[in-house]
Amino acid sequence: MSSKGQKLIEEIFPSLQAIGYDITSPATKEYNCIAWAAGDSETWWWPNKDCFWPYEIPQEESLDVFIKVYEALGYSLCDNDRYEEGVEKVAIYVDSEGIPTHAARQLNNGRWTSKLGKLEDIEHNTLEGLAGYEYGTVAVIMKRPKKN
Amino acid sequence: MTYVETVSKGSKKWVPIQNGGVAVGKESSFIHGEYKRSAEHYLLPISRQWANPLTRFLTLKAEWEAETAHLSSMTKIVMHHAYQQIIGMGQIAIPLILLEMGKKPDHWFWALRSITGEDPVLPEHRGRLKQMTEDWLKWGRKNGYIT
Repeated sequence: MSSKGQKLIEEIFPSLQAIGYDITSPATKEYNCIAWAAGDSETWWWPNKDCFWPYEIPQEESLDVFIKVYEALGYSLCDNDRYEEGVEKVAIYVDSEGIPTHAARQLNNGRWTSKLGKLEDIEHNTLEGLAGYEYGTVAVIMKRPKKN
Repeated sequence: MTYVETVSKGSKKWVPIQNGGVAVGKESSFIHGEYKRSAEHYLLPISRQWANPLTRFLTLKAEWEAETAHLSSMTKIVMHHAYQQIIGMGQIAIPLILLEMGKKPDHWFWALRSITGEDPVLPEHRGRLKQMTEDWLKWGRKNGYIT
């Protein structure tokens, strides 16, 4: 993967390198983290007129609304980010005003996968790797039974 | 005729002589380059470059791309100050945006809607970059912005 992309990612998310991550896709503008966490790699999800948003969910930038999006996909709130056999988890990050900024999905190996805006997909060892000025902090973890 | 040949023939009026577009020596090439750069700077200062819509658009676009690349929030992406300045360019930005979209699709939809007051994107294409781009390019062709 390009060292240019890697350099940029490490500049924006300075703690990522120490925590451990791998770039797992080329950069693309076609989908974002909310879509990727929901298992979609073709569409940009956001409560905005130019983006896809599930029609039954209000078009509001709030944590409650983003929780509803993943609830509609079978997820429910849970209290930890530990890997559990047979369970799939997503994490929603919010900024200092409580507005959602990012979502990550846990993989079978216990690591997390994130699409970084228009940049690449990455696998990161912990959720803290992306916490900070840009994405804020993890507000909620949600889980659902893993589909076979 | 090279510089050396010119001097050896006693010419008082020396003119830099190019050989296939390349200056005769490194020093000459450097001096020529610096002269050209100074002339360009004098004739086209940065303030005048900024007045050129294409230069202004490309400068703002580069800033917008660099500072929003990692964001997922479409609100933050389109509210970025450089993107808003492109919207502020008004009608003159439409062909520049459409030309850019044709080469490299990106999320220019908010800007185009804001400037034109139109929305040619089909509801089933929302969120799909290539299809939304194609809808706008079709609009651009229909309205004479793309020939």
